[in-house]
Amino acid sequence: MSATDFDVVVIGAGHAGCEAAWAAARMGARVGLCTLSPETVALMPCNPAIGGTAKGHLVREIDALGGLMGLAIDATGIQFKLLNRSRGPAVWSPRAQADKRRYGSWVRDALCAQPNITWLFRRAGAVLMSGGTVTGLAFEEGDRVSCRSLVVTTGTFLNGLVHIGDEQHPAGRAGEPPTRALADSLHALGLAMGRLKTGTPPRLSRATIDFSKFPEELGDVPIVPFSFTTPRDVLDGRDQIACHLLHTTEATHELVRQSIDRSPLYNGQIQGIGPRYCPSFEDKVMRFPDKSRHQIFLEPEGLDVDEIYVNGMSMCLPRAIQESIVRALPGLETARVLRHAYAVEYDFVQPTSLLSSLAAKDYPGLYFAGQINGTSGYEEAAAQGLMAGINAARSARDLPAVSIRRDQGYIGILIDDLITQGCLEPYRMFTSRAEHRLVLRIDNADLRLTPLGREIGLVDDERWRVFESREKRLERNRAHAAGTRVKVRGATTTVAQAIARPDVPMAEIVEAGASFETDAQFASFDLATVEAEFRYAGYLKRHDAELARVRSQSDRAIPPAFSYEGVPGLSREVVERLEQVRPTTIGQAGRVPGVTPAALAIVALRVARPSKY
Amino acid sequence: MFATDDTIVAIATPPGRGGLGVVRVSGPRALEIAQSLISRQAPLEPRVATHTYIREKTTSGVVFLETPVDEVVATYFANPHSYTGEDVIEISGHGSPVLLERIVQLALAAGARLAEPGEFTLRAYLNGRMDLVQAEAVADLIDAVTPQQARAAMDQLDGTVTGAIKKIDAALFSLIARCEASLDFPDEGFHFIQQAEVRSTLSSIADDLRALIATASRGRLLREGRTVVIVGRPNTGKSSLFNALLGRNRAIVTPIPGTTRDVLSEQIDVLGVPVTLIDTAGLRESHDPIEREGVARAGEARAAAAMTLLVLDGSSELTADDDFLLNEPTKGRRVIAISKADLPPGMVPQFVAPEGITVSATTGFGLDELREAIVREVSSQDDRRDTPMLTNIRHIALAQSALDAAARALAALDRGATEELLLVDLHDARHSLEDITGTRTIDDVLLHIFTRFCVGK
Repeated sequence: MSATDFDVVVIGAGHAGCEAAWAAARMGARVGLCTLSPETVALMPCNPAIGGTAKGHLVREIDALGGLMGLAIDATGIQFKLLNRSRGPAVWSPRAQADKRRYGSWVRDALCAQPNITWLFRRAGAVLMSGGTVTGLAFEEGDRVSCRSLVVTTGTFLNGLVHIGDEQHPAGRAGEPPTRALADSLHALGLAMGRLKTGTPPRLSRATIDFSKFPEELGDVPIVPFSFTTPRDVLDGRDQIACHLLHTTEATHELVRQSIDRSPLYNGQIQGIGPRYCPSFEDKVMRFPDKSRHQIFLEPEGLDVDEIYVNGMSMCLPRAIQESIVRALPGLETARVLRHAYAVEYDFVQPTSLLSSLAAKDYPGLYFAGQINGTSGYEEAAAQGLMAGINAARSARDLPAVSIRRDQGYIGILIDDLITQGCLEPYRMFTSRAEHRLVLRIDNADLRLTPLGREIGLVDDERWRVFESREKRLERNRAHAAGTRVKVRGATTTVAQAIARPDVPMAEIVEAGASFETDAQFASFDLATVEAEFRYAGYLKRHDAELARVRSQSDRAIPPAFSYEGVPGLSREVVERLEQVRPTTIGQAGRVPGVTPAALAIVALRVARPSKY
Repeated sequence: MFATDDTIVAIATPPGRGGLGVVRVSGPRALEIAQSLISRQAPLEPRVATHTYIREKTTSGVVFLETPVDEVVATYFANPHSYTGEDVIEISGHGSPVLLERIVQLALAAGARLAEPGEFTLRAYLNGRMDLVQAEAVADLIDAVTPQQARAAMDQLDGTVTGAIKKIDAALFSLIARCEASLDFPDEGFHFIQQAEVRSTLSSIADDLRALIATASRGRLLREGRTVVIVGRPNTGKSSLFNALLGRNRAIVTPIPGTTRDVLSEQIDVLGVPVTLIDTAGLRESHDPIEREGVARAGEARAAAAMTLLVLDGSSELTADDDFLLNEPTKGRRVIAISKADLPPGMVPQFVAPEGITVSATTGFGLDELREAIVREVSSQDDRRDTPMLTNIRHIALAQSALDAAARALAALDRGATEELLLVDLHDARHSLEDITGTRTIDDVLLHIFTRFCVGK
């Protein structure tokens, strides 16, 4: 084996690229991290927040595996909330407003402090290949580096095109040049690619807003952290900022309707498909004419910056019209627009071309992660970056790829959905995508994933020690719940039975005499785990039985060389989808869009009993 | 499991001699194989019935001989517009089993494979020509013993049941979507659904499922028929009555008590309702181990039966055994027959059993009255002809498990459970319904949410 400059080269230092570089370097790989500027590392080009329903789950899983994102947001968050608190622990999800500038510099500093990472401040130009295998990366500046694995995390930069009204200019993000040479290089590899669109709202000057007109939205005290290893004292006493809630008005809707033909979304100028779950303001007005108002949140982009993010108002109308719309809102009459809203169209790689390791099927060593795979969201990007970094580092050492099952983590669902279904619009994680929702909780992300992180060399001794003591506490807490009797609302039962009643809050049971051990140093989730395990006990038992039954069928492997061509009874369309995705199991084949139970039965029959003809 | 890519052949009409018989060939080589069997040289045209001859080619020394086997009508159905979705040829010949089997053998010699039972329908299902309910209904239609049963099977083939299930499924889906939205979009300034509405929607889904299952008891009666077990002390004429109702001699009848030692069972058509009639050994103490075993089996049959037909010997006096049987508490329904009306009476029926029907297996006296009484007792359900009926045991079990899941969700709601728990049961219910039709509906919950609600910050 000839010596290479690096084991792993990562293109892009956004949320995917940073996790990839971090994971690979922590696992001992020599990493080159290629980005345009040290100023835009871990940038948040859209909303200044991390987490939310299902996204918060992803962050905790990243953390449980030994990733960066949870630690970064705990260190730099300026308002924390636990969403869905009124419901059960399976759907609790943390979200935090971030100080954008501090978040980026915290991540950059962490990467700088990590041995094995070399920064390459250059423009990525072309993927270098030899015999179908990655050998290195050529820069637009003319020089090149050699490597064994290459991770592409270029976000919206591939042939990026920014739209504001009828203004169009090529850009990866507003004000940053797009990546064309690399786009050409990837197109030349023959990867299936498509075009998507996303958008961001305007930023207003804090000094020009009359906040007294709007109700305040405050954070939680005490703060529920994202990371299993953020000490309590880091978050206790943290100053939290307020966000503000307002509503759009009929007058602003009328302004949109009057100028709708000047929106690139409605006059045919934009071809890419945008996310349905994050509709532009134009879409809100035009597609839901019955709604007389929509929610808007004003979110500070940092503790000491002037920029206010107008959450809920992404659009791409001309600049002057954006300003009229903003100023038509009560309280914003004198608001100054610092940066205008815009839409961006970009090329993405259809992720059905990827394996569960996130490597391209036809090009060993070439990995893709983040928005380039058709996802949206910092958390979705980071989760993929982490997995791509892990597998790139393992592949450089000729170790087999690791992947996470759908019943093991949201990360597993994310990647399985991407490689099985592909993207027709930007993909965002939701808890409704998780068929094993009661098992995939924020409190047990460590129980589900930290042993895997340890096994692959990503979880350090400190995190492992925290984990081991938590496991022991959990055992003692379980024994306590099963063996201690308490009187709650007139009934004397075991603590476990009391928890099983959904109408009795945990606090009441603790007050009645249940006492659980928790960690003094870390805001651990010991209580939440006990609550979930006993409250969901009946459901979890049924779930386990069902899972065992289903897996005996769905885990049946489809041979890699299996040909769908010429299998009678499969429609042309189904054959094409299956040939493109090349599912590895019967279960995955059943999740390929358009594959009917009848088609699946044919495939299962054929796999079980190959034709003799 | 069958292969799905070869060509299969079978006789498609019921066994036995009939006026016409049909041999069906299906698969990629169906046309080629059929063409090689017939005398007509020009290619068969799709959907055209062609009059031709089946011929058999033999050699005698160096001379090729062609012997006509049968005069037939061959019809070609080109894929996918056929029963199975493949190329199908139906060869309609004369209904002699010997001729039909000869045609099948010729097709086998030409490269077809003998179809397994149900394989044509399996292919129709696999090729998307019908859903599971329809596929199972076809099997029922073919097995149908009586006209009413055939009608129930037809109902399912038309998709009446599928339609009823789809309606319930749609209500369930909308409920699921709104509960999911509440979980995934907690920031939105409104609730997607209030608890009271969850409860009322869920209750009406449960009611619809219950109504569908209620039709099942009538559906099953038609499909499986009711079991009627004939009981009585030895030698009261049970087997004679069994043979009389059956219309032929199945049971051995002798004047010797204890002749019937095992349980005999036959499917009969009683005024349009299929009934499984069971003849049993007379209930008495016996030292004969074979007869004792027969008596034990009679007891088991009686326990499982929907109805007992108690036979008393009208030509003799009431014995202690008769008295015991008359007075023993019965779980199910009962009809009493007072037999041997052709012999001098040994009892006064009005005193012994006023509801008893006097019959004679020898003369046929009272048999029609007995048949009416049997039908009245086994089908006391209303005859609701226009409601879809679940007749298949698999469908009933799945509908029941959907109902169980809905009931669990309602109970959880009463205990104060939140959406993530309700949704476990709601998804369970939905999967059971989808298993009935074997189709997976496009369950893009998110698509439903995004098109109905304006969500997203």
